Amino acid sequence: MKKTLAIVLALVMLLSVGAALAQSTVTFSWWGGDARHEATQKAVEAFMAKNPDITVVPEYSAWSGWEDKMGQRFASNSAPDVNQINWNWITAFSADGSKFVDLNTLSDIIDLSQFSKTGLDACTVAGKLQGIPVSMTGRILYWNQSTYEKAGLAVPTSYAELLAAGPIFQEKLGEDYYPLVLGTYDRAILMVYYLESVFGKDWVVDNKLNYTAEEIQKGFEFIAEMEANHVIPTMQKLTGDGADSLDKNVNWMEGKYAGIFEWDSAAGKFQKALNEGQTFVVGDYFRDFGEFQGGFAKVSMAFAISETAADKVAAAKLINFLLNDEEGIEILESQRGIPLSKKAFDYASGNNLLDPIVSEANAKVLSWVNYNLDPKFESNELKAEETGVYAEAMNSLSYGVVDVAGATEILMEGINRVLGE
Amino acid sequence: MMSNNIASQQRLAQDLIRKPGRSRLESGRIGLVYILPWIIGFLFFKLYPFASSLYYSFTDMHLFNGISKTGLFNYVDVFTNRATVRSLETTFRYVITTVPLKLVAALFIAYILNFKIKGVNLFRTAYYVPSILGGSVAIAVLWRALFRNDGLINSLLSTLGVQGPSWLSDPNYALIIISLLRIWQFGSAMVIFLAALKGVPEELYEASTIDGAGKWRQFTKITLPLISPVIFYNLVTQTVQAFQEFNGPFIITKGGPLNSTRLITMIIYDQGIKNYKIGLSSAIAWVMFVIMMLLTLLAFWSQKRWVYYSDETQRGGL
Repeated sequence: MKKTLAIVLALVMLLSVGAALAQSTVTFSWWGGDARHEATQKAVEAFMAKNPDITVVPEYSAWSGWEDKMGQRFASNSAPDVNQINWNWITAFSADGSKFVDLNTLSDIIDLSQFSKTGLDACTVAGKLQGIPVSMTGRILYWNQSTYEKAGLAVPTSYAELLAAGPIFQEKLGEDYYPLVLGTYDRAILMVYYLESVFGKDWVVDNKLNYTAEEIQKGFEFIAEMEANHVIPTMQKLTGDGADSLDKNVNWMEGKYAGIFEWDSAAGKFQKALNEGQTFVVGDYFRDFGEFQGGFAKVSMAFAISETAADKVAAAKLINFLLNDEEGIEILESQRGIPLSKKAFDYASGNNLLDPIVSEANAKVLSWVNYNLDPKFESNELKAEETGVYAEAMNSLSYGVVDVAGATEILMEGINRVLGE
Repeated sequence: MMSNNIASQQRLAQDLIRKPGRSRLESGRIGLVYILPWIIGFLFFKLYPFASSLYYSFTDMHLFNGISKTGLFNYVDVFTNRATVRSLETTFRYVITTVPLKLVAALFIAYILNFKIKGVNLFRTAYYVPSILGGSVAIAVLWRALFRNDGLINSLLSTLGVQGPSWLSDPNYALIIISLLRIWQFGSAMVIFLAALKGVPEELYEASTIDGAGKWRQFTKITLPLISPVIFYNLVTQTVQAFQEFNGPFIITKGGPLNSTRLITMIIYDQGIKNYKIGLSSAIAWVMFVIMMLLTLLAFWSQKRWVYYSDETQRGGL
């Protein structure tokens, strides 16, 4: 009896060990808001139900501080297996291709045919496809139509109309009302969009700034003109609001700031932040900036597999489920923007799964923008809030510490330093 | 049984007398085992990072690109880079403002709380609480909410008919607001002052009162000299802590406006953690370390002129 019991116990133990060995664990990280966390967790559960041999361990958080944390983890080779990555992380963390798996080698699992060549090329660095682009995004103008109506105006469709709206807002609604609000990074992107519209060329070419000091000065004059005409609040006013971000700024919520220049994928966040009874609409690109269609689109985010992942096949299965599987698409909707995967886009739009505002904005962005974005444009040294080069140049100009020539000097010196590193 | 125990204890005692070297060695080994966890922690988590940061400070160590060159270039950068030099100036301004004001506030409140007043324990607790909360993120967020354009402070001012300034977005005020947060956390220094004040012999005050000394004279001629070792201790520790300030400016102003609150610790963080330039970040940290060390040495050197030790053999130590 004792002998039989011992054999049974040993067999059970062996079976457990065998099952544990057959079970694969994939760690998966992403950042985002609550809605994205909820949807992604549901998608992960659906994936595990479909793949009982794979256990997915999620790690997620808000964006704030996430990049710093992940940077340390990639550097110490302790990053999760599957990662939602920012597009510029590929060049920042893996310029030599050492951190992320070449996903071409997993093309039998991930259906790469669903993605445009442009999208895949944008994620190909050091000859390796280091990420699968989830969506494309670009900046576009959004308006609070209710505030414009209160001022007796229609939302602007040209720069001339926007410029004229400043004094009208001031006169009819009061000093605290502005037709548009721009933080320092927003100013930098809008300035580049303006300059590309005027001069018809990329901002950076072959790792070199493609604009002269005289040309950039025109951009700063454009920003200064908007401030002088009460179109945008000064940086001192905006900083004094004491808000972490524009969507958390009470002046945006109350409609005192009546316009933003934001990523198409961020529309939902800004719309939800508005107090009740206000109408949020997608704007049009201004044709009177110049004779060219300025602005750029970029890969908003990508999914990548760490080189340290133990089970790369299981990791690839998870990515394919999230991007190309109908079940995954249905759960995730447009939580990561308008899907770039053709299959996901067709399925999601056919089943009304996409946020109409985000869809409209994304369609407008992709049909308008013409220029390329240099990955270093988003380098922390340039875009860091308050302490980056863009912030230094824009703040110095807005506070009156320097004139447009001085701001140009700060910007060019900073960009050339970063590009030269 | 009893006699056996006594016999074995005697044998043990004889062994110890016969082999003193061996027993000392054994007890030394046991002692080493006891402190081994601390030694391991110190070697791996203090000494190794300390030494490696010194090495990295002479390299262009980048978290993702590794090391490609060595030299003094990081140290040259520290003293020539506009942002770093400005940040050093800001840090000095911050330290020079906050340390004396915090010490004065702490001593003043401790002096008051040393009197036998009703509810003194409640007051002591109330004044100590900010020191517990002060470094927290929540308090920094609250501080920002208090001082924003439409915050509580400006709302109070407007009820008095005063238009409050833009505290957080005006470079002239932002550093003051950050400094106020630190000064408000005077509780720990206050508790140390309070203990020192209680140690001043009562008879000295009684004797001086008979001699006709007033409160101010007693304070300057009796209290201050007798608590000067504690003032010295608080001065050194508060100076070091002020140089290490990070949370307040990081959360409240993010170093702005116009970098007016960007302390040197923020540059170390930005270069090392955000820009992955470990070499440069280490060099800035070492410059800060040397500055702090020099100031501490200066304080120790100066104490013979103003710190009074009742027992002269205690000079130089606390």
